[in-house]
Amino acid sequence: MIKSRQIQRPQRVLVVDDQEINRDALGIILEDYYEVLYAENGRQAMNVLQDYHGDISIIMLDLMMPEMNGFEVLQALKADDQLKSIPVIVLTADKSAELQALQMGAADFITKPFVDMDEVILARVSRIIELSEGRQLISAAEHDSLTGLYSRNFFFEYAYRIYTYHPELHMDAVVLNIEQFHTVNDLHGREFGDEVLRVIGSEIRAFLRESEGIASRIEADRFDIYCIHQNDYASLLERFQKKVSEISPNISIHLRMGVKEWQKGIEPFLLFDRAQVACNKVRGDYQTPLMIYNEDMQKKELLNQQLLNDLRPAIEHHQFKVYYQPKYDIRCNPPRLCSCEALIRWNHTDLGMIPPFSFIPLFEGNGLINIVDSYVWAEAARQVAEWRRKYGITIPVSVNLSRSDVFDPTLVDRLVRLVKDHHLDPKQFKLEVTESAYTDNAQQLLDVIEQLRDLGFEVEMDDFGSGYSSLNMLSEMPIDVLKMDMKFIRNIETSPTDLRLVQLILDIASYLHVPVVAEGVETIGQLDLLRKSGCDLVQGYFFSPPVPPEEFELLIQKECETERNGNI
Amino acid sequence: MNLEELYQKIGGDYSRAIKVLRIEKLLDKHIRKLPANQIFAALDQAGKDMDATALFENAHAMKGITANLGLVHICDLASVISEEFRPGNPRTMSDDEVRRIIGDINTQFQNAVTAIAEYTSSQDS
Repeated sequence: MIKSRQIQRPQRVLVVDDQEINRDALGIILEDYYEVLYAENGRQAMNVLQDYHGDISIIMLDLMMPEMNGFEVLQALKADDQLKSIPVIVLTADKSAELQALQMGAADFITKPFVDMDEVILARVSRIIELSEGRQLISAAEHDSLTGLYSRNFFFEYAYRIYTYHPELHMDAVVLNIEQFHTVNDLHGREFGDEVLRVIGSEIRAFLRESEGIASRIEADRFDIYCIHQNDYASLLERFQKKVSEISPNISIHLRMGVKEWQKGIEPFLLFDRAQVACNKVRGDYQTPLMIYNEDMQKKELLNQQLLNDLRPAIEHHQFKVYYQPKYDIRCNPPRLCSCEALIRWNHTDLGMIPPFSFIPLFEGNGLINIVDSYVWAEAARQVAEWRRKYGITIPVSVNLSRSDVFDPTLVDRLVRLVKDHHLDPKQFKLEVTESAYTDNAQQLLDVIEQLRDLGFEVEMDDFGSGYSSLNMLSEMPIDVLKMDMKFIRNIETSPTDLRLVQLILDIASYLHVPVVAEGVETIGQLDLLRKSGCDLVQGYFFSPPVPPEEFELLIQKECETERNGNI
Repeated sequence: MNLEELYQKIGGDYSRAIKVLRIEKLLDKHIRKLPANQIFAALDQAGKDMDATALFENAHAMKGITANLGLVHICDLASVISEEFRPGNPRTMSDDEVRRIIGDINTQFQNAVTAIAEYTSSQDS
């Protein structure tokens, strides 16, 4: 373990006196505790300071010396940015010089001769070094060394003081981010990235010289500005963007800005939280990179926060319901119920029925979707096993596999245990994977899919054609079923192009020897066209919307009836 | 002759000197260097020239050295000269009085030099 003494910088005392006896008298007192350097006059002292790059803890300075006297040294120190923070104790026998020395920046004085002064000298030197180092530490912690702006903690402390003690100032919160900053660093090097940050910091400081406020580089490429309300934030963003664009004409760097305008009673921390929400809203939007936080965003944010808070209690109190939407095999006439998809619904105690698009993307964004998925998997497996006991047939069920599930190291074991616990064949528990799971770390997904297929699970590619890398995914990922996105189906009765696209997808699937499920089938016309085109299975409102298990049982009963009649 | 005996002989304050320099070795070093110190000759010359600036600077420096060495008599006399010629202070003594004090300093200094020579020869033999 590193001891606290090891992280101390060496403490050096520079004794400046033309009289050797004075230097010795001080040296003998100080040498046991400090590294002591000596200079015979002011000129020599300045040379020592340059040699040590100002890394001197304290200067003990005689005032009357040849060549360059103590007052001239004090003046030279004051004028030098690197040296001005070094504390100076003036050594003098003349009371009259003390005031002048203190006025010129000396921290303290010691009267010569040093009779019985060792304890006093040591105490003064030690206390002044301590104070000075404390000040330096505070100063280093107060500012970001790269941009000169406040560091995060100091910024919020000062913002809070402005908010508390100057309520008459209506301050807005502005958050400035660089688009894809990590890519800028990766492509052009960290030095270039730092230069970009420096330029932004410098322009923010220039802005704050014109308008009241404070600013901070909160982290990496996030800048927070707490400033008097501006009428035109677009111009402000343009001003920063212009400076950044000037750095290198060949490298394009884009800024985005989020603003939360002053609001009575909203303290800075919350104000910046909202400005950040606004800033995130325009991530990747190069056309409109500015967003002012508004009430709708606030409502949405509050709703999201409520949903995040309520997720675990909702699981505990069974507010989530699994609905089932049937898939029909249209190669038979009449079409036969062959499987179903399990879909989550949330019947919230206060908010009523919440549509999946309100919470699934939210939970996908922070990994909580795993909790929801696990719940659906367990419930679906239990339900299929129950139907099997009740009706003597097994309806295979498909469940969604989210991107974050793929990164769960226990995924394969959990799925295997689940089907085992309910005595299901893995084939009867199908996993639907969307393109979004494929785009991030495709190899991880491919490895997991391979393992699952080896164990007998079937994988369905969901929403095929909805994104831009469906074909890539298809070429790399072994699948068992292809689910055609509903947008292809919607217009096939009126659009020959869409119909042709559907036929092309069916051709691809046929070439790969995988069956196709057409999603979103709503009309008999669509069904006929799909059947004629060679589609295998369909899912959609034409047959049934997603329904609760008790309603789905009616479909099973109907199917059992059809089967019995068929057998007669 | 040891250091304490030397101090007795020249009327110096040994205990004060040791309080400043803390160890005899350092006191020995600086007492041996005293005879060669040019400050006494410089003050004498400044007195002859009645050069106020040089009188102040040399008397001031002498006051510091002798105070540290516990040579209290010389220190007191140097202090009088230093205050007489401190910039901004009004003159209170005649030039003759100043020269007389410098003469006293020289006498004290010469006595010290002789005693120090005895001390060093007794120490080094």
